[in-house]
Amino acid sequence: MESVVLTLNEVSKSFAKVEKDEITHALDRISLNFKSGEFISLVGTSGCGKSTILRLIAGLITPTTGTVSVNDKEVTAPGPDRGMVFQKPTLFPWLTVEKNIAFSLQVQNKLAGNEDRVKRMLKLIGLEDFKDDYPSQLSGGMAQRVALVRSLINEPGILLLDEPLGALDAFTRMNMQDEILNVWREKKQLVVMVTHDIDEAIYMGTRVIVMEANPGRIKADIPIDLPYPRHRSSSQFTDYRTRILKMLNY
Amino acid sequence: MKLEEIVTKSAKYSDEKQIPSPDKLTRQQLAEIEEKEKTPLQKLLDDIIVILPILCGIISVLEYCLLPNNSANNNPLTYLVLLIILIIWYFVRMIIAFAKRTHGDKQNYQKLRYKAPLNSALFLFLAIYDYLTLKTGILMHPFVPCINAIINIAWIDREQLIISALHTLRLLFIGYFIGVILGLITGIACGYNERVRYWVNPLIKFLGPIPTSTWIPIIMVVIGGHLFEGAIFIIALGVWFAVTVASMTGISNVDRSFFEAAKTLGASERQLVFKVAIPHAMPSILQGMTQGMSTACTAIMIAEMMGVKAGLGWYITWAKSWASYDKMFASLFVICMIFTVVTKILNFIKKRVLRWQIGVVK
Repeated sequence: MESVVLTLNEVSKSFAKVEKDEITHALDRISLNFKSGEFISLVGTSGCGKSTILRLIAGLITPTTGTVSVNDKEVTAPGPDRGMVFQKPTLFPWLTVEKNIAFSLQVQNKLAGNEDRVKRMLKLIGLEDFKDDYPSQLSGGMAQRVALVRSLINEPGILLLDEPLGALDAFTRMNMQDEILNVWREKKQLVVMVTHDIDEAIYMGTRVIVMEANPGRIKADIPIDLPYPRHRSSSQFTDYRTRILKMLNY
Repeated sequence: MKLEEIVTKSAKYSDEKQIPSPDKLTRQQLAEIEEKEKTPLQKLLDDIIVILPILCGIISVLEYCLLPNNSANNNPLTYLVLLIILIIWYFVRMIIAFAKRTHGDKQNYQKLRYKAPLNSALFLFLAIYDYLTLKTGILMHPFVPCINAIINIAWIDREQLIISALHTLRLLFIGYFIGVILGLITGIACGYNERVRYWVNPLIKFLGPIPTSTWIPIIMVVIGGHLFEGAIFIIALGVWFAVTVASMTGISNVDRSFFEAAKTLGASERQLVFKVAIPHAMPSILQGMTQGMSTACTAIMIAEMMGVKAGLGWYITWAKSWASYDKMFASLFVICMIFTVVTKILNFIKKRVLRWQIGVVK
């Protein structure tokens, strides 16, 4: 996996409101620099443009002004080099678990000779026995695991996580946090994760970026200087939490 | 009651020595365990209901053999043989079901128990129908013939009936497939592409509400001699409309998040259509195809009755002009059978293609 540098240069994004003839400024001149090996947590109140940043990086939307670039190459369209996991698993209900995972290889005509990669992904999430099941037969946590490896199969240099654990129960959530961290620590790709959960942001991220709304902008960029695995009840951990909560006026 | 006790209890019915452990239950055993224990009275009632069709079958045989006829009845054995075959067929299935039940396999028995009331009703219906036609003539003889006469005439005129049926099938399938293929093309294009929708939508809105049968007189005037092609056009038009609307709705209802996920996984624009939009719209498309089949069946009958000089619809009008009412009914039965089989095939395809939907929609 090649190492990547992701740059957001003075990026603004505005949306037209649905009803009135008005414009929402989702992001106001954001500049950020990320590189391989970092785990970025984006936190902030809703409407601060966290998800918009992810969607810009993914190439699903284009910036109103400014540029998003990966290794100095401007992002114009989505691609498998930037894997994305959404809050909903968005698994294709008409494909089995195995075929969902193989989807990306298949559309890129890379499946032949790479079947072992699909097997490896199934093994990684421990769902070998479920490979012939349809997504409707899976629990929320299982489905989200499948969605995760469906993106990982491309070995993307950048992994974008849009509140991927938001809909899961507390225990599944903590387990999956560790699973994602294991993948990241092994592959050392760049992970950018949006979350509402400050504990999750501190537990997982090497950097926590705190955002503010109206218009969306960066309030603070806090490096988390704690070794992995982290302990949620350690005093440094709680210090970080207090600091970030204060920043968000809580 | 503890689980072990329940399992032991359910195993009582089975001849097998080993008791299934709770984690190795089959679906049927699970259903049996969770089911409430039936009282002896309920069990007796179930048995009686399962035997009931045989009794009703015997009633219909007795009704046919013992009551005096009101009108002439040629080859009286045909209907009797049919009745006896039906009774024997049910009897054999019943014996198998009872035998399997004593060995613990209740599946056949339950299936039969489910169907038994309907089967009983069928035999009673046959008896009542025979009473109203052959025995009393209450249902105006000769306009409504008895079953025996219908079967006899169907056999005598079998060649003509088969040829007519083949004609109908040929027309139906050519028209249906043209309609489905064109409907898929326009429907998918409209559903996915705004610009195509802009041009095709008004056409659909304008042509759609016109019932297909209204076209027949116009087609007869415009096309003149080529009635076969005209009928194909009419059938295809109805099917095209149903399939277009259904696939258009299906495709435009695809959740945007599926497209986004597919895009980040590297799917091209074409793959978004073929690998995401179409599979997602498949339930709706198949719905449209089923609906299209029913309009096609209506259209073909009207076309054959009004102009096409072959097929089962034509056979009915032709038989009517000769006052052969028994032939009309024979043709009606053949039509019924054909359409039933066609619908069954469509449903089978639907079940296969939409296997993934099990559990999503109930």
